[in-house]
Amino acid sequence: MSQSVLHLSGVVKRFGETLAVGPVGFEVQEGEFLTLLGPSGCGKTTTLHIVAGLLYPDQGEVRLRGREITRLDPQHRDMGLVFQNYALFPHKTVFDNVAFGLRMRKVAAGEIRERVLRMLDVVGLPGVENRQPHQLSGGQRQRVALARALVIEPSLLLLDEPLSNLDAVLRKRMRLELRDIQQRLGIATIFVTHDQDEAFEMSDRVILMNVGHIEQVATPEELYDNPTSRFAAEFIGEVNLIDGTVAGVDGGAAQVQSAIGGRYRARGDLASVRAGDEVLLMVRPERVEIEPDAAAADGLVPATVAKRVFSGDLLIFTLRTADGTELTASKPSTQRYRAIAPDSSVWIDLGECRLLPRGA
Amino acid sequence: MRAGGGLFAAALFTPITVVYLVFLLAPIGFFLMMSVFRYSPMELWQPAFTADNFVRLLSEEHYRVIIFRTLEIAALTTVFSLMLGFPLAYFLARTGSIWRGVLMFLVIAPLMTGVIVRTYGWIVLLGSEGTVNVVLMWLGVIDEPVKILETQVAVLVALVHILMPYMVFPLFSSLASQDPDVERAAATLGAGRWRIFFEVTLPLSRAGILMGSALVFTLTAGAVVTPALLGGSKVQMLGQTIYDLVLSTLNWPFASAVAFVLVFCQFSIIFLYLKGGRRRVG
Ligand SMILES: Nc1ncnc2c1ncn2[C@@H]1O[C@H](COP(=O)(O)OP(=O)(O)O)[C@@H](O)[C@H]1O
Ligand SMILES: [Mg+2]
Repeated sequence: MSQSVLHLSGVVKRFGETLAVGPVGFEVQEGEFLTLLGPSGCGKTTTLHIVAGLLYPDQGEVRLRGREITRLDPQHRDMGLVFQNYALFPHKTVFDNVAFGLRMRKVAAGEIRERVLRMLDVVGLPGVENRQPHQLSGGQRQRVALARALVIEPSLLLLDEPLSNLDAVLRKRMRLELRDIQQRLGIATIFVTHDQDEAFEMSDRVILMNVGHIEQVATPEELYDNPTSRFAAEFIGEVNLIDGTVAGVDGGAAQVQSAIGGRYRARGDLASVRAGDEVLLMVRPERVEIEPDAAAADGLVPATVAKRVFSGDLLIFTLRTADGTELTASKPSTQRYRAIAPDSSVWIDLGECRLLPRGA
Repeated sequence: MRAGGGLFAAALFTPITVVYLVFLLAPIGFFLMMSVFRYSPMELWQPAFTADNFVRLLSEEHYRVIIFRTLEIAALTTVFSLMLGFPLAYFLARTGSIWRGVLMFLVIAPLMTGVIVRTYGWIVLLGSEGTVNVVLMWLGVIDEPVKILETQVAVLVALVHILMPYMVFPLFSSLASQDPDVERAAATLGAGRWRIFFEVTLPLSRAGILMGSALVFTLTAGAVVTPALLGGSKVQMLGQTIYDLVLSTLNWPFASAVAFVLVFCQFSIIFLYLKGGRRRVG
């Protein structure tokens, strides 16, 4: 059985009265790229600092390769942390910044030199070792911070929103590059972000957090297709949520009578779902089917095109049904869909939906 | 930054330039000149050039002792202010505790009362029947009052207290402007508390240390009231010497020579500060 690199269980952290995190538990596997995703203030940084030992949890346990390290000092943890604002030593050269961790480990000078230069190469910054941090661009500082964290060959790489201070173009490029470096070094990584695109493009698994607790742990695809809560459905991408009433449950799917008129099959957590329950139907905009031809519309729900936005490769339709519900559909901008004019009458189909609890 | 700005900048800078010229540079120029004039008992000074004042100042043991003592007290006050002020400034800069406000007030408080009032306060505390002696006797540490007033210790203690804000505020602003994540980064890279302090916090406080030290050193070297009241004639410093020469002895040329030495020392420190401060980190 493969042992996890990091294991958090039942971790709780309060700042005075406010519960910042908890209870939170998860594992990071060898070589895995795990992302903590969630809105600002949901406790991502706090969780990361607990892992790094910069904060101690009020309850719970942190294990590194099976060893309990809950209250171990950060300097004995062997973790490479990259801060959002990089936190380079402003009074030291790039070389001395990267060399710092090795000096603390009493590595011989010759070896330090070799490893620092090699790591600057890995992060794509050869030849800047004699510069001061303030002589570097944001992207370069970012790479120095990464090199400084990686050169100590940590058990775990921790990245706290490392891309959010970069401009849009650089941010996109760094996503791929960061993922590439992580794969090459095969280092287990916890990446923190509030940006869903970043999380999806880079991660093996995503932990979705909300006000201090974990909403869902899943692969990006799972999280997109099968969110288990309204929060998860709405936080990730665009979504249509429609009120409905369960008509019956059979063989792994529920039949749901929707507020817009149609009756749809819906999958989800059906364990506690009974006929008559008020639920939500979730369907992503690209799954909403639009039928302009009345002849082919048997059994579909009528709607009007309230708005149509052209965005190059996609057409975004806003569709209003008889009961006043507005749905979004995003369709490829092919002739078939371009032909559907604003204010025209159409018929829509939701196909198979996702069932979510109504909640608050 | 846009330099100059022509008329507008000139308009902004004219008042302060006038103040400096009239009230700072002119008097300094005046006593620089006076210091090479000849003393005359009848007319105070004669506009005849001579080096006698400086020769006397440097050859008489009495004055050499005073110069040396002034520099010694200024240096010690600076060192003690720094050692006491640094932890205080560090706490003020890093804490989120409610004590921050209280401590901040205590640091500023000395600035709100005059220097004479504060010095008299120290006389009350340090006198032979003062609080310090009473407490020490009550504790049984000493059997009879020790003489604290009119010693260098009294002057040092009072100066360190009185000048503390001038040390703490530059240190505070230096420490408060540091990104706390930089210390955290050092910790995750394997540095313990002391390593972090010496490798990160202290070097990054360089500007504040230089500024605070330069302020405290120059202010101590020029102090008059506190050494005079607490040290008396036993712990005479340059400031009081000049005061006596000007007002009692009425030897203005010699007083100017003494003042010249004092100002020279102070300017040297400011010069060192500017030279050291220029290698600022960005
Ligand atoms: N040092 C602190 N003192 C008090 N509250 C804090 C402190 N650090 C974080 N918090 C609070 O804890 C919550 C989680 O913060 P944080 O972990 O920084 O969130 P995130 O990184 O997800 O934006 C927030 O409500 C924040 O206000
Ligand atoms: Mg954060």
